[in-house]
Amino acid sequence: MSETPATERAADLRAVTVGIGDGAAGFGHERGGGVDLATQDMVLNIGPQHPATHGVLRLRLTLDGERIVTCEPIVGYMHRGVEKLFEVRDYRQIIVLANRHDWLSAFGNELGVVMAVERMLGMEVPVRAIWIRTLLAELNRVLNHLMFMGSYPIELGAITPIFYAFRERETIQQVMEEVSGGRMHYMFNRVGGLKEDLPAGWLGRTSAAVAAVRSRLPQIEDLVFGNEIFRARTVGVGVLSPELIHAYGVSGPIARASGVDLDLRRDDPYLAYQELLDDGVLRIVTRSAGDCFARFDVLLEQVKVSLDVADACLTRLHELPQGPVNVRLPKILKAPEGSTYAWTENPLGINGYYLVSRGEKTPWRLKLRTASFNNISVLPQLLEGRVVADMVAILGSMFFVVGDVDK
Amino acid sequence: MTRLGSGLLAGLKVTWRNLVRRSVTQHYPDVKPELPPRSRGVIALQEENCTVCMLCARECPAWCIHIDSHKEVTPAEVEGGRDRSHNMLDRFAIDFSLCMYCSICIEVCPFDALHWSPEFEYAEHDITDLVHEKDRLREWMWTVPPPPALDPAGEEPKEIKAAEIAAAKRAAPPPPVDPAGPQ
Repeated sequence: MSETPATERAADLRAVTVGIGDGAAGFGHERGGGVDLATQDMVLNIGPQHPATHGVLRLRLTLDGERIVTCEPIVGYMHRGVEKLFEVRDYRQIIVLANRHDWLSAFGNELGVVMAVERMLGMEVPVRAIWIRTLLAELNRVLNHLMFMGSYPIELGAITPIFYAFRERETIQQVMEEVSGGRMHYMFNRVGGLKEDLPAGWLGRTSAAVAAVRSRLPQIEDLVFGNEIFRARTVGVGVLSPELIHAYGVSGPIARASGVDLDLRRDDPYLAYQELLDDGVLRIVTRSAGDCFARFDVLLEQVKVSLDVADACLTRLHELPQGPVNVRLPKILKAPEGSTYAWTENPLGINGYYLVSRGEKTPWRLKLRTASFNNISVLPQLLEGRVVADMVAILGSMFFVVGDVDK
Repeated sequence: MTRLGSGLLAGLKVTWRNLVRRSVTQHYPDVKPELPPRSRGVIALQEENCTVCMLCARECPAWCIHIDSHKEVTPAEVEGGRDRSHNMLDRFAIDFSLCMYCSICIEVCPFDALHWSPEFEYAEHDITDLVHEKDRLREWMWTVPPPPALDPAGEEPKEIKAAEIAAAKRAAPPPPVDPAGPQ
């Protein structure tokens, strides 16, 4: 199907997928209202300020009645030019900006920058720092996924789950705040390790928080996953094929929900993931359906895996011998001339940093590859031929952060 | 799928279970949150420690710290001595409408003049009132909590090592006087 031109395919799609969801059974569709009725297409702007979108993503829809003929995502309302700002900031100042483009996974964003600089410098990170970084990255993943597990049902009209999701988020945010001082922008990574050591007793409190979240996770599951209305809105809706995923560079939980089994934690291991993989703690979650429900399901399963990984990290941190969490840096840190590409499995997908240095204390260029941008570029393909009500379900299930799209 | 409506019932069961339990919500203005000592609420200035080295103002990624100073000269105390000049702080202001709360200024301060305080209730109606001058920054110092104890697996702070060496030196008896010393 991927060889046929887009227009033909759209026509195909319309012919085939007339009934989306059971509710649309018998809902015949003919372009332009048929021969008897002359109608006109309508242009509908969803966003930049709209309750159905997150942040300021704007979708320009061309509608034929209730059905979407074309969809054009218009991005850039939140463009802050971080890549240019990176060029006039030293590596510690870059972390401040880098953890802000995807505000739901600040720790993951910081990691990419420091890993790129450490690789350029050939710097060895102390072993305790590696395990603490892994632990915090996984807790950050849990926080991110819980956010979407709460906000997605809201878009489908279920108000309650977000309160459950936020209760769990609060539990984890408390330990994150205790260690880093921040609730969203942790600023806890430094080139060569971490800002400072853990507070005494923090490991125990984190174990308790992880256990509490794990014990209450079934509540969200019971609330949402079996719900007939939720299933009717999501099962079989917005099926994303592996071909489209490869064509658009979609990554992360969305790609894995369609059976594209790529996870950098396994495929290009960084931090302590190789060891966790060998121990069998880190499992890569995949689904084959590729619909909205599968994407949501991957999130829940990943939360469970991340909590297990966090527990494994905590056990390891208890066993590790006394040691530092950072290395002493020179007063002026300069990356040697050259370039490197560091990529990490951020909660929303592949996050890449291409760092080019000319031996200055600022990078010459730091290119950012963010997951959300690629994840929403596939929207036109996905929305063609759907009804507006499904657009909300599909858009919400693409799990993106507008700051991550616009940078 | 099993019986229609069983999923809805499972959800309602969760709702019911939480309905009869104590709520986890804190009623904020009446109940104050308990914030950890590392919490980044507001930056406090220990004015006496500041030597106007300008490191914080230079390192700030948002350039939100404003410092003015002048030099004062203390005349030499002894005959033929040198005059000493000191930097005197005239103005130290942090614009919290620009601040990104990254804590770089606190990290770079070589004399521990800047500290985090978990206080956060300083919202203003006028954005220009978010510029805190040095008197206000000094007032925040009273709210700065002591830092938390560190994890026992962490590396010993270098200050402890230095203090131990100094203490050992003081406690040790003075080196024996060489009997064949100067006579």
